[in-house]
Amino acid sequence: MSSLSPVMQVFLYGLITALATGLGAIPFAFVRSVSPRVVAMTNALASGLMLGASFGLLSEGADHGRFATLVGANLGVLFVLGAGRLLGDHDMEFGTARGEDARKMALIVLVMTVHSVAEGVAIGTAFAGGTTLAIMITAAIAVHNVPEGLAISAVLRPRGASIAACAGWSIVSSLPQPLLAVPSFLSVEAFRSLLPYGIGFAAGAMVFMVLVELLPDAFETGRRSVIALLVSVAMVAMVLFQQLL
Amino acid sequence: MEPIVVVLVFATLSASMAPIGVLPLRHRTAVPSAWIGWANALAAGFMLGTAYLLAEIALSGHPVRASVGSLLGIGYTYLSHRASGVEDVDLNQLDGVDPLYGYRVLFVGGLHGAMEGLAIGLAMLESLPFGILVALAMAVHNVPEAAILGSVLRSSGLGVTRTAALSVAANVGQILFAVIAFAVVPAIPGLMPWAFGFAVGGLSYLALSELLPQAYERAGPISIGLVTSVATGFVVLLRGLVR
Repeated sequence: MSSLSPVMQVFLYGLITALATGLGAIPFAFVRSVSPRVVAMTNALASGLMLGASFGLLSEGADHGRFATLVGANLGVLFVLGAGRLLGDHDMEFGTARGEDARKMALIVLVMTVHSVAEGVAIGTAFAGGTTLAIMITAAIAVHNVPEGLAISAVLRPRGASIAACAGWSIVSSLPQPLLAVPSFLSVEAFRSLLPYGIGFAAGAMVFMVLVELLPDAFETGRRSVIALLVSVAMVAMVLFQQLL
Repeated sequence: MEPIVVVLVFATLSASMAPIGVLPLRHRTAVPSAWIGWANALAAGFMLGTAYLLAEIALSGHPVRASVGSLLGIGYTYLSHRASGVEDVDLNQLDGVDPLYGYRVLFVGGLHGAMEGLAIGLAMLESLPFGILVALAMAVHNVPEAAILGSVLRSSGLGVTRTAALSVAANVGQILFAVIAFAVVPAIPGLMPWAFGFAVGGLSYLALSELLPQAYERAGPISIGLVTSVATGFVVLLRGLVR
């Protein structure tokens, strides 16, 4: 890859992290039955993974700038509120799903796509600080994209999406990574100051999506104790995963 | 002041917030059930945020022990709820309450109090400001708990002052566990990451199994989502200030 121009390298590394997200769909190749209880359990899984990821983001954002993260997080919450409303106003179709299911599917893809923006900026600014460090950060982001793909697939798959569609939408949700890595590599200073806002936004959007869409649904159809068990285990696993990277 | 006295003082202060939940019962006015939902959502958010901060401390030192510890905390809380038959008890009921319901609330409250006390004691081990933050965060949960317990006691004819006193007494486990955790955990070599992990698992499970589900039923997902996410974010963002 070293024969390529630096901009191309950054783009390709960003693309690799995006493709890694698609791997998250793999476990769902084995899930066939889609009873309401399975939907509740996969909602719980997605909730735990997203909560764990957002906690990590929030505390990272606090290192860059507490106030900016807070502002970003509030914007993220508003974004989900607004997007949820807008999507709810239309008679949605998402693949073969319609109505409420389609709304939820579109919303998770949207939220996860927007959240990748901050990761793209992180990759770009990392490359400005030297290639070795950047490759490590890219590898870390790529690996942590896998459970994000898992979270997306956990919402899409039980609502009728095929495995290919799950993998495809997971990758689409990470496309902002290569796309934003390049401009943030080219003008690091400008993007570095925006980073805490982006991180806060991503965390706020994910936490709120979990609390307002995924968890209430899960509690409605699943057993309280089982849902709580799944969410807390997935959350701890995600936090551990991020600490180890 | 001796450090352990400081722990005692703040854990007691946290327990003493309970009578706030009894206040509205003075005039026998019913607390709107949405308020209980919001108060529980606030407490759930604070618990989740606290759990994350404890997890960060625990996992940075001994990731494997801390995660096994948190699995134990989750498992212990799950099993103790199951075994005692309180896993489906609704902690938001204000009317039509009977003494049996009161006992159940008291029992679940005891389980919560132990876990909250553990969290306060461990946070105090990390630093005093962090301990104070956690004590305050845990105090919030005592308020709706006391409102529920208070309405049971009041409907059986007990006076407001005694109800208020009993609502503090119901949290004695919290004070006890805070002091015990602070004194015992550092004394046993290698226990620290396990204990931190245990508290992380227990707090997350409690917030998710006891507080959030009924809060949704009482006040609807949007307001509960808002209150919980603001509370969680608030605690996590305060991290740098208190460590």
